[in-house]
Amino acid sequence: MKAGFPVNKIKNKTGYLMSLPYILYFCLFIGFPLIFSFILIFHKWNIVTPMQWVGLRNFYRLFHDVQFFTSIRNTLIFLVIHIPLQIVIALFLAVILNQKIKFKGFFRALYFLPVVVSGVVVTILWQQLYAYETGLLNLLLTRLGITKIPWLTDSRWAMPSIAIMATWKNVGLYIVLFLVGLQSIPHYLYEAAEMDGARSLQQFFHITLPALNNTMVLVVILSTIGGFSLFIEPFVMTGGGPMNSTLSAMLYIYNQAFYFGHMGYAATLGFFFALIILIVVLIQKKIVERKD
Amino acid sequence: MKKAIIYILLIIGGLMFAYPFLWMISATFKPEVEIGSIGLWSSNFGLHNYMAVFQKIPIGRAFLNSIFVSACVTLSVILFGSIVGYALSRLNFFGRDFLMGVILFTMVIPFQITLIPMYILMVKFGWVDSYMALIVPSMISSFGILLFRQFFMDIPQDLIDAAKIDGCNDLQILFRLIYPLSKPVIITVGIITFMSSWNDVLWPLIVIRLQKLMTLPQLVTIFAVGGQAEGQLGAQLAAATLLAVPIILVYAFFQRYFIESMATTGLKS
Amino acid sequence: MIYNKTTVVIFLLFLVIEVSCERKQAAQFKDEQDIIRLTYWCASNQDEINLAKELVNEWNAEHPKVQVVLQPIPASQSSEEALLAAIAGKTTPDVCSNMWPGAMDDFTSSGGLVRLDQFPDFIEYMQKRMPEELLESFRSPDSHYYQIPWKTNPIMVMYNKKMFREAGIVRPPRTYSEYLAAAEKITKDINGDGRIDRWMGYRDIRPIWWQRLFDYYPLYIAASGGMTLFSGSEIAFANEASVKVFQFFNELYRYGYYPLTTFQGDAFLAEQVATQFTGPWNVIHVENFKPPGFEYGISPIPVPDDYNGPVYTYGDHKNISIFSTTEHPEAAWQFTKFLISAQADLRLLEICSQIPLRKNLTVVPLYHEYFLENPMMMQFAEQAVYTRGVDGSSVLKEIFDAISQEYEICAVYNKRMPQEAVANAAKRAQIIIEWNRK
Repeated sequence: MKAGFPVNKIKNKTGYLMSLPYILYFCLFIGFPLIFSFILIFHKWNIVTPMQWVGLRNFYRLFHDVQFFTSIRNTLIFLVIHIPLQIVIALFLAVILNQKIKFKGFFRALYFLPVVVSGVVVTILWQQLYAYETGLLNLLLTRLGITKIPWLTDSRWAMPSIAIMATWKNVGLYIVLFLVGLQSIPHYLYEAAEMDGARSLQQFFHITLPALNNTMVLVVILSTIGGFSLFIEPFVMTGGGPMNSTLSAMLYIYNQAFYFGHMGYAATLGFFFALIILIVVLIQKKIVERKD
Repeated sequence: MKKAIIYILLIIGGLMFAYPFLWMISATFKPEVEIGSIGLWSSNFGLHNYMAVFQKIPIGRAFLNSIFVSACVTLSVILFGSIVGYALSRLNFFGRDFLMGVILFTMVIPFQITLIPMYILMVKFGWVDSYMALIVPSMISSFGILLFRQFFMDIPQDLIDAAKIDGCNDLQILFRLIYPLSKPVIITVGIITFMSSWNDVLWPLIVIRLQKLMTLPQLVTIFAVGGQAEGQLGAQLAAATLLAVPIILVYAFFQRYFIESMATTGLKS
Repeated sequence: MIYNKTTVVIFLLFLVIEVSCERKQAAQFKDEQDIIRLTYWCASNQDEINLAKELVNEWNAEHPKVQVVLQPIPASQSSEEALLAAIAGKTTPDVCSNMWPGAMDDFTSSGGLVRLDQFPDFIEYMQKRMPEELLESFRSPDSHYYQIPWKTNPIMVMYNKKMFREAGIVRPPRTYSEYLAAAEKITKDINGDGRIDRWMGYRDIRPIWWQRLFDYYPLYIAASGGMTLFSGSEIAFANEASVKVFQFFNELYRYGYYPLTTFQGDAFLAEQVATQFTGPWNVIHVENFKPPGFEYGISPIPVPDDYNGPVYTYGDHKNISIFSTTEHPEAAWQFTKFLISAQADLRLLEICSQIPLRKNLTVVPLYHEYFLENPMMMQFAEQAVYTRGVDGSSVLKEIFDAISQEYEICAVYNKRMPQEAVANAAKRAQIIIEWNRK
C-alpha cells in the first residue's frame, strides 16, 4: 500500500540509521586511511619523530628503486605460474570428481583441507619438504635416483616452488567452485553431443569449457587478488631470497615500513602497487569479457 | 576400467593432499633425530615436543585470544552486515545506491594502501597492543554486507508487510522475522569470517607486540621464525600442528557447511 | 529471535568486561600511591629472564618502597622493533636492559630516553666500573649518555674438538688458509650414501640483515684490525678487508664446506658441522643440550693470512636505558645501578654466561672462581677487551641489508666477484644515506 508523506520520511531515517555503522566504519577505517595515505606520500616519517615534508622525493626514489620493481616482477611471475597451474589442476580434479563415483564427498573434503588450514602451517610444513639436504622431497628424489632439486636455494626454482605450494594450498577451493559450475551444465547438452558423434575431448572443449566461463572468471580474479597479497610464505620461508627472487611486493613494502621505518615511502609504494593491481584486474576483466 | 583409473587418480591426489599433514603430525611425536625420515612410524614416539612448546610460549593463551577475537569479529560482522544489508535491500532512502557503489568500490581497493595508515590510526588511538586493534578494524565487512543484501532481496515483501501491519519496526522485522529465515547466509558469512579472522597473521604481526595478546597464528609464526624454539624442529612442527588442529576439527564437523558456503558465494559472485 | 539478542548482549558484555578489567588494574595502582612501581623489560630469552627474575626478587625484598615489575620484551622479529613501537604508543617501561647501541639514534631522536649524565654520580660510577675509552664509545653524538654499557658477547669460533682430532687437525685454525684446509679435511660423506653429511660450518643463507652480524661483520672487524662500517659519518667498509671477507665466504660455499641449505635444529650439537661463529651466551646452551662425549673449544675468529696483531671481533653489546616516560628517574637509576653491581655481574656470568663490561674482569677475586671453573668463558672475557660494536647510524639496518644482498649474490651463490660486490654494497649504502638525509 502506498503510504503517505510522513511514513516515507520515517523510512528514510531508518535507512540512514541502519546504514550508520557502515558509514562510520567507512569514514574511520577506509576514508581516513586513504586520505592519510595520500598525505603520507609527500612526507618522511618513522612514527617516533614528527613528519617531515619532502615533496616529491618519495616518487623520485620509487622510480629509481630497482628492488621494488623486482618485487613487482616477482609477484607477477608468481601469478603467471600459480594461476594456470591452479586452473588446470582444479579443473582436472573437478571433472574427475564429477563422474558417477562413490566417496565424492570424502575426496572433496580431503582436497579442501589445505584451504582451511592457516598459511603459516602450510609454510612451516613445506619448509620441511623443500629443504635441500634434509627435506622430504629431495629424500624421495634421491631414493628414486634423481638428483636433488634446489627448491629454495636457486633463484630460478624459488618462486616456482612457492607457487607450487600456494597451488597445493588453494586448489581445493577452486575444485569446489568448478564442481558447482560443472553441476549446473544441463545433461542434455552432452547427450545431444553424444548423438552427434562427438568424442569426450571434443565435448570438453565445446560444451564444458564455454559453460564454465563465469566460474573461470571468478577463479582468475580471486586468484589474482589473493596472489598480489603474497606475503607470509616468503616472509617465513626465504626472507625474500635467494637473490631477491622471492621478494614479493607486499614483503618489500612491509620491510620498508616496519624494518626500516620508512612510513612515507612505504605508503607511496603501497599506492603505486594498488594502482598496478587495479590495472591488472581491469585488463583481466576486459580480456574475459571480450571472450564472450 | 575407466572407473578404476579415476579412483586411482583420486587416491593419488588425496595422498598428495593428506600425506604432508599426516607426516607433520607424526613428526611432532618423533625424537629430533628421526624427524627427517619419510615414514610415519617411529618406535620412539613421545610428547616432548609438545611439552617444549607449552613451556616456552603461552600457546593456550594465544588460542584463547584467537577464539575471543575471531568470535567477536564474526558476531559483529554478522550483526552489522545484516543490519546494513537489510537497509540496502529493503529500505528506500536517498543515496542508497550511492552507498552501494561505495561498498562495491571498497571491495576493489587492495588493502595494501590502507594497511599503513590503519596502523598509524591504531597508534594514535592508543590501541596498539590491545584487543581493540584486532577486533575493531574488522568489525564490518563489505563482503558480508553484500551477501546479506543479496539474500534479503529474495525475501517476499508480503512477509514484511504482514509484520509491519502487526506494528513491528525495522529492527524487529530484521531480528524476529528475517533472521530465522536466513540460516544459510548467516552460517555462510559466519564461517567465512571466522576462518579468515582466525588465519589472519599480517595484521596481528603489525599491531600486537606483547606476547600475551598474540593470536595463535601470530605466536606460532614468531616461534617458528624467531629463535625461541632453540632450533628444535620438532617443537616448531608441534606448534604448527597445534595451530592447525582446532580449525581442522571444526572443519571436520562442519565440513559440509564450509564447502557449501564457499560454493554458494562463488555462485553469487 | 531471543538468541540473537543474547548474542548481542554477550558481545557487549565482553567489551564491558575487557574495559573494566583495565580500569580495575589502574585503580589498584592508584591505591598504593606511596609505593613506587617500576616496570623493567628484559630480553626475551630464557636465561636472561631467569637472571632478571632473580635480581628483581632480590631488589623487591630489600626495597619495599620501590617495587619492580618484570616483563620480557615482546618477542617479535627484533626487539628494537618492539621498543620503537612502545615509544610510539607510549607504552614504554621505566627501565630496559636489551638496548642495542645500533638503534640508539632512533631511540634518542624520538626523545624516548632519559639523559643519564644528569645523575650526579653517573660518570663517576661508570668510570669505576669500566675502561674509559670503552665508555667513551657509547657517548651519543650530542655528547650525552643515553645508555649504560652492560654486557658484551664477543663473537668467536666454537669448534668440535673430537671432530678436529679425528680429522687430524692439530690446532684451531688462525688464518683463512688454515681454516679452509681444515674444512677440506672435515667436509665428508661419512656413511657412504653419496651425500655429504658433515660440513665445516653453517650460516643461515637467507638475506636477513642481522645475520651478517655473525659472519661478515665480525670477520670484517678482525680483518681490518678493529674498523667498523663507518669512520665518523663516512662509509669506510669499501676496503681490502671487506673484499677478503667476501672472498673467504665465497670459497667456503663454492667448495661446499658450508652447505647451501636451511638447517633446522642445532647442527653443531648434532655434530653435523664442526665449527660455528657464536658468542658466550651459547656456552650455557651447549652445556645444557650437549650429547654425551661432546667436546668443544673456543678460538678467535680467523683472519686473513697476512694479518698480524690482536684479533678484534664484534661484541654484541647490550645496554640499559631509562625511558623518558618514567615518573621516577631517580629510583630507576638506583635500580639500574643494582643491575650492574658486582654481585649482579657475577650472576650474569653464572646464569647467562655473558660477559659484563667490567674492567679487570678476569683479575678481580670475586670472579676468580667462576673463571677457574669455566675456562671457556675466560677466553671470551679476554676477547671482550678487543671488541667493536656497531655504529649508531639511523640507517644501519638498511646498510646491513644492502651488504646482505651483495653477500648473498657473491659469497653464497658465487654470481659476482668480491670486489664488485663490495663496491656495489658501498654504492648502495651511499644512496641509502642520501635518501635519508635530514
